[in-house]
Amino acid sequence: MNRSLQRRLRVFSGLVVLLALLLTARLAWLQIYNFEYYRASAEDNRQRQLPIAAPRGEIFAADGELLAANRPGFAVSLLDFDVRDGETISYLAELLAMDEEYIRERVRGERFRSFAPIQIAGNVSPEVVAKLEERRLDLPGVIIETQLVREYVHGSLAAHVLGYVGPISRRQIEEMQAQGIFYRGTDAIGQAGVEFVWEQTLRGQEGTLLVEKNRFGRRTRVLAKEDPVPGNSIYLTLDARLQEIAEQALREVIENLVESGNTQAGRGSVVIIDPRSGAIRAMVSYPAYDPNTLAQNFKELAADRRNQPLRNKTIQDFHPVGSTFKMLPGIAALEEGLINEQSRVTCRGVATFFNGRQTSRCLKVHGALSIIPAIAQSCNIFFYEMGYRLGIDRLTSYAESFGFGSPTGLNDLSGEAAGSLNGRARLDFMPGNLMGASIGQGHEITALQMANFAAMLANGGTHFRPYLVQTAKNHLGELIFNAKPEVIRQLEYSEKNWDIIRQGMKNVTDFGGTAPSMRQLPVKVAGKTGTVEVSSLRYSHSTFVGYAPAEAPELAFYVIVENSLHRPGSSAVPVISQIIREYYSPASAAEQQ
Amino acid sequence: MFDRRLVRSFDFPLLLSVFAIVLLSLLIISSATMDSLAGDPFFVKRQVIWFLISFAALLVVINIDYTQFYRVTHYLYGLNLLLLLAVFFLGREGGGAQRWIDLGFFNLQPSEFAKLFIIISLARHLAAREGNFASIFSVIPTFLHVSLPMGMIFLQPNLGTALVFIAIMFGMLFMAGAKARHLLLYVVGSLVVGLPLLWQVLKDYQRMRLISFINPERDALSGAFQQIQSVIAVGSGGVWGKGLFAEGTQSSLSFTPEPHTDFIFSVLAEQIGFAGSVVLILLYVFLLSRVIRIAAQAKDTFGTLICSGVASMLLFQVFINIGITIGVMPVTGLPLPFMSYGGSALLMNMMSIGLVLNVGMRRHRLMF
Repeated sequence: MNRSLQRRLRVFSGLVVLLALLLTARLAWLQIYNFEYYRASAEDNRQRQLPIAAPRGEIFAADGELLAANRPGFAVSLLDFDVRDGETISYLAELLAMDEEYIRERVRGERFRSFAPIQIAGNVSPEVVAKLEERRLDLPGVIIETQLVREYVHGSLAAHVLGYVGPISRRQIEEMQAQGIFYRGTDAIGQAGVEFVWEQTLRGQEGTLLVEKNRFGRRTRVLAKEDPVPGNSIYLTLDARLQEIAEQALREVIENLVESGNTQAGRGSVVIIDPRSGAIRAMVSYPAYDPNTLAQNFKELAADRRNQPLRNKTIQDFHPVGSTFKMLPGIAALEEGLINEQSRVTCRGVATFFNGRQTSRCLKVHGALSIIPAIAQSCNIFFYEMGYRLGIDRLTSYAESFGFGSPTGLNDLSGEAAGSLNGRARLDFMPGNLMGASIGQGHEITALQMANFAAMLANGGTHFRPYLVQTAKNHLGELIFNAKPEVIRQLEYSEKNWDIIRQGMKNVTDFGGTAPSMRQLPVKVAGKTGTVEVSSLRYSHSTFVGYAPAEAPELAFYVIVENSLHRPGSSAVPVISQIIREYYSPASAAEQQ
Repeated sequence: MFDRRLVRSFDFPLLLSVFAIVLLSLLIISSATMDSLAGDPFFVKRQVIWFLISFAALLVVINIDYTQFYRVTHYLYGLNLLLLLAVFFLGREGGGAQRWIDLGFFNLQPSEFAKLFIIISLARHLAAREGNFASIFSVIPTFLHVSLPMGMIFLQPNLGTALVFIAIMFGMLFMAGAKARHLLLYVVGSLVVGLPLLWQVLKDYQRMRLISFINPERDALSGAFQQIQSVIAVGSGGVWGKGLFAEGTQSSLSFTPEPHTDFIFSVLAEQIGFAGSVVLILLYVFLLSRVIRIAAQAKDTFGTLICSGVASMLLFQVFINIGITIGVMPVTGLPLPFMSYGGSALLMNMMSIGLVLNVGMRRHRLMF
């Protein structure tokens, strides 16, 4: 063998060794030096963390009636990793009747959050699900997830109290993030009512499923699982039966008004609270809406500016309350010693005040009468006189003592209005305003404030904080919250004076009172009728405030039927009559047992 | 059947190293494919059959004195061209290229056998020119000899195999005595002139592969996806690997592309780690050292050059293929000799080893 060939073979062998060393060095670099990095990359590759939604806590009425529950529904989601071609998205858009650009936007917006599926549509119909399943192989990356959908078992019952859940907005996510609470863009969140205020209690804690997936995004194994913690259940103070009775009573009266040709009627409120605790037993805002179909009907409901079905009128709307206010100047005058039980004022149907500069009228000529018949017969002149003797400052001060002019303190719903008093605080206040203020005109008072007023008259001046959530229980059934009655204010008036006012209110519902029809109810009702003039309209609001049973009050209430015709005969009285009749009827109560 | 002297000269270590690699191959192929086929050993079975056929072919090859081939190289060259031409008319499309002829029971890949044919014909071509490499132009006839079959393969298009031809040619030229500096000049020159030209000729998918090799992060989902996933698989194997048939590996979850063919090394490196990879590389180094040894001992230049050609071919394929899977070479479709699943390649590689063994067996000049 020649030397040249030997040399060349040695060069070739050297090349073999060199290349082998090169490969080995690179392998050592990858497999030893950078092992951790590539191990993590491989884990990233194969693992996907999937959130497991926690069932939202249920909402019950005080009597255990289930009001808000969860039912399984379908959601269509995308795994961004796999969905790159526009065809899948256009097909989805067509099938779901959604905007293609919206889906793309959604995918873009969620891309960086995690490898979690991006929800495109929730609560999808079974027909759509079937169609997607048929084309499953053509639609890689499209997954159908089962998802719990909020269901309001009794439809519109207590809709304004319960509120509703809806898709979270970007702004809400940021707000929650600022509080250190994490939400996904696909989460639903309480948007109104107790669902909104008690969101964090109801929400529950998301679980995690760590799954292994292959390159096509298909799940191959479950690696680890952290179970979600279901949200806490809430028991409301609402009495489902009473709520239903009250809703029906108000609805029937208003529907009758509308049917009889009243084009202005269509709104009303009822609030019933327990004067012994402040627990709200019924809260009705008419008209209501069905939270189950809210998403579909939202535009229409929001557009109804006249009846505002989405608005909780019991705490957000305020009105003058008319004669239902009259107990206030009455008890103030008694407390101030300006009158006693026997003190009489003579009603001639008209009276002048401020040295003749102010003339005020009564609906009737009542003659000489003391405070009890004055309440029973709703004599304007008597209470004008009381207001005149008190003066605006003392009248305002007493009104404030009963919680008017500021929120009653209900924390379980958001947006309770304060209202305002017809007094010196008003920029356009004039001395003559005193006369209207004395008989409830010109004030801005919510239905809840009036119910609280009734409760304070019934319980002798205790202002309990009104509340809607009685207890909350975690998923194990352990009590985690229990509301205790909270006294916000206690008025120290003489018991005798309370009794005088209560006697007047009892006489309202008897012969000679303004609501004699109510004497036939199964329990004695103490109350006061009211009619609120609505400026420049032929219509007026019909109101009723009171409590029952008169001797041992359990329910304190206020009813307002807006824009009932200005005519003799109250629309509020039939409402409260029907409520009391049904609630206390032996048959109905027995059925409940 | 054999002359005793022939048996004594038979290089058993070379054959054993080939067996060892094939055995490893069967293990990795089964590990890489069993999962996706839910336990069906389809690929392993086929590869075993192919191995038996190939081994039979090897036995046939070593039975024919290689010097007999010297006389028929012209016919072999012609047959080679015919087969490559046939691909254009009878070929089947695969992966954007026409490479196979469907023979019913298997797909013949003439470009694989073309490597063997060119080694033999080039060995004669260069043996005849031994010692005539003083001029820089002396290698031009060799270029022409190779460029005809290579050009046809390039046009299939099959860039990987065409490059193997260049490696074979330069390796054999060097061994035949061509001056290293001349060869280097040609390599540099052709790179300068050839690359822009090559760019024009390349198909889109080939360009994408080159681009993605230079900048893999550019589009992690198409071109470079394979290579990135392969590198992740290799790196995540660590020193000892995740184990054969392990769950949750890159290959069992389909992240590793072509896990039983072009990227089989990636599977091996992931499952039996750095240790296993080094064992395989050492097996190849050993195999090549035996081939070089036989080249050195051959009784004539023809034999030496045949062995050099086979060694060049194997070295190039091993280095490029492993280089691709560990991210130091751009992706070109090249199987890993004796490891990748595939009948034509295994058959051809076994036959080329047979040829080398043949040369080794007959290294002693006849004594009578």
